[in-house]
Amino acid sequence: MQIKINNKKYAAKVGETIFQVCMREGIKIPTLCGAKYSHEGLCRVCVVENSGRLITSCNTKVCKDMDLVTESEKISKARRINLELLWADHAGKCATCKKNRLCDLQKLAEEYRIENFHFVPRRGEMTSSEEQKLLRDNWSRVVVENENPCISRNSEFCVECRRCINICPEQKFGFNHRAGDVVVGTPYEKVLDCSFCGKCVEACPVAALTDQNDFSKIIKDLDDLKKFSVAVIDLEMDGKISEQLKNISHEQNFEKIFFDLGFEKIIKLEEKERNEEDEIIKNIRTEYARKEKIDPKNICTFFISSKIYKKVRKNEYLDYVLSEREVVRLVRDRGNIVAGKMKIKA
Amino acid sequence: MNNIKIITEHWGKINPLKIEDYVSVGGYEALKEFIEKSDSEGALKEVKLSRLSGRGGAGFLTGVKWEMVSAQKGEKYFVCNLDESEPGTYKDRLIAENNPHLLLEGLVLSALTIGAKKSYIYLNGNYEKAKEVLARAILQAQERKFLGTKILSSKYSLEIEIFSGAGAYICGEETALLSSIEGNRGEPKMRPPYPTECGLFGKPTVVNNAETIASIPWIIQNGGKKYLKCATKLFVLGGSVKNMGVFEAPIATTIDEAITKLGGGMQDGKEFWFAQVGGASGGIYLEKELGGPILGSGAILVVDRTADIYDLLLSWTGFFRRESCGKCVPCREGTFRLHEIAERLVDGEIADRDKEALNDILWTLENTTFCPLGKFAATAVRNAIDKLGILK
Repeated sequence: MQIKINNKKYAAKVGETIFQVCMREGIKIPTLCGAKYSHEGLCRVCVVENSGRLITSCNTKVCKDMDLVTESEKISKARRINLELLWADHAGKCATCKKNRLCDLQKLAEEYRIENFHFVPRRGEMTSSEEQKLLRDNWSRVVVENENPCISRNSEFCVECRRCINICPEQKFGFNHRAGDVVVGTPYEKVLDCSFCGKCVEACPVAALTDQNDFSKIIKDLDDLKKFSVAVIDLEMDGKISEQLKNISHEQNFEKIFFDLGFEKIIKLEEKERNEEDEIIKNIRTEYARKEKIDPKNICTFFISSKIYKKVRKNEYLDYVLSEREVVRLVRDRGNIVAGKMKIKA
Repeated sequence: MNNIKIITEHWGKINPLKIEDYVSVGGYEALKEFIEKSDSEGALKEVKLSRLSGRGGAGFLTGVKWEMVSAQKGEKYFVCNLDESEPGTYKDRLIAENNPHLLLEGLVLSALTIGAKKSYIYLNGNYEKAKEVLARAILQAQERKFLGTKILSSKYSLEIEIFSGAGAYICGEETALLSSIEGNRGEPKMRPPYPTECGLFGKPTVVNNAETIASIPWIIQNGGKKYLKCATKLFVLGGSVKNMGVFEAPIATTIDEAITKLGGGMQDGKEFWFAQVGGASGGIYLEKELGGPILGSGAILVVDRTADIYDLLLSWTGFFRRESCGKCVPCREGTFRLHEIAERLVDGEIADRDKEALNDILWTLENTTFCPLGKFAATAVRNAIDKLGILK
């Protein structure tokens, strides 16, 4: 069938959503909850106009002779207000946020010029009792959980897009409470206990679900002149890292990126070594150390992989597991440091 | 005004706990008639002729809804929506408490007409008494073979289950109600597919309000044509009228008639200000606008000049802030911020920034929410701003 989008005709198949057609034809529609994760229509940011009425594009199927508009004053007003409502309930600590410059909400906020907490009045605009109540209401529902070994949860950043709920193969997450008190969490707010496949962290558009790690210790170890840092890079990591990296850097040379971060040796797993990483990591502290005459105590081993469940199995041979997101975060945090360890050592 | 009472006829005269009382005033005669003389096609024809519309608020034609489901084969469900949680509305509760067998008879007739073998009564979690009365009524009806397998020794059978919700307002919305029965979070689902195609457990389902169902026995007995002439509706009057309570009156009753004739006019010394029609989600009507019909659930709140509008506003926004399910952004965050602004508005003054925010929130609630709850949340506040001029 044929539908009209922004006064141009496009072919569409029966059963396709408006969003799918627009993606295929290269028409940009912003979304927070949808795209490849769900078609629930929760964020109401992907709205388009169908003969004057606002409809969500992610879960509306195309019909014959549809006449759609994807950008108009009304649409951007709807997107702006809904983003601002989210922004008002968001932590807004961008400068120190783990997801800074890698955050979907931040990108949309920049695009639609969400500059301030529009719905939260400033100090001078209300009485002190109102202010106290506002603070209590706005921050009383935050759930922070860092007890599990792999995934750090902080609902202060959460935008309740339900990507994690929809993507989790074990259905570990759900909505707790209702209305403005809604918190994405585990049943009865217990500590997250799952197989830690990491899909939810990958899906999270903001910093509500992030990789658990002691970053200051990692940076200290990387910068330590005595320490010899070895990175074992898992298969298929190049693509994953460059996908994330394009948000913050144009550097494509992986060796340079890792050496700049402070690694001394990089071992890339090969196809035939799939799932043999434990053996290889063990060899670094034993055979490799003996051969190169390095004290095994001074070796620091990193496994660069999406398999964040390996964090549970850290042992005497493996010190750190870094996901692609953490590598990019390291690059971002150290982006301004011109000289890496290499240069300091030299 | 004619005085035909279809639903409230036997209220207070019969003992709701005794099936004999109901049978002695002609109860379950419609069911006997259906089984002996008519069939589901005949019944459907009568209901279509009656032009009976949904009494829950949306007003969709019952006959049309039934036809969509009865045309489909296979397993089907019929659900009675008794999750009444609109503030100031309690007509369905009184139906269940005063004459539960009328509701059951209507439910059996409706379910058999569409060809369902299982029916649910979705009861508001706060209705403890109604639950007891209904549970007892179901047992009595089963004993007398009005329910269960082989109803009155015919080929029909029907099982009725009472499902007690948790008192959430959103579960009155039919897709949320069905999610709740399925054991999921009570949240509205995307439509289409409509429940009539893919409802409870993925099967075609009819969801009707209790009042709609309670009108069915009369229609089957007296015919759809007759009902068309004397259709009635329950109205709930509250606020500053002399007589408060539930009244049955012709469906075309205007707001003015309801207040003066049913409610007996304003209480002594009180001056009429406005009426809110349809519960917390209803619009505001000033004195000059009272000529129209009563829309929505049939609740009328009459407010006099002594009322504190800002207090009322706080109550409305608080209700929606509490009852939003939290699924979509504008409703979850919007109702929350709306309530915050209403809290700052209690003395009638707010900052300019709040006024701007208020307009933005109302706009996004009206235009972008997932389900009608968001629009409802904005209606009363919007009317209060436009008609009562609450923002100085």
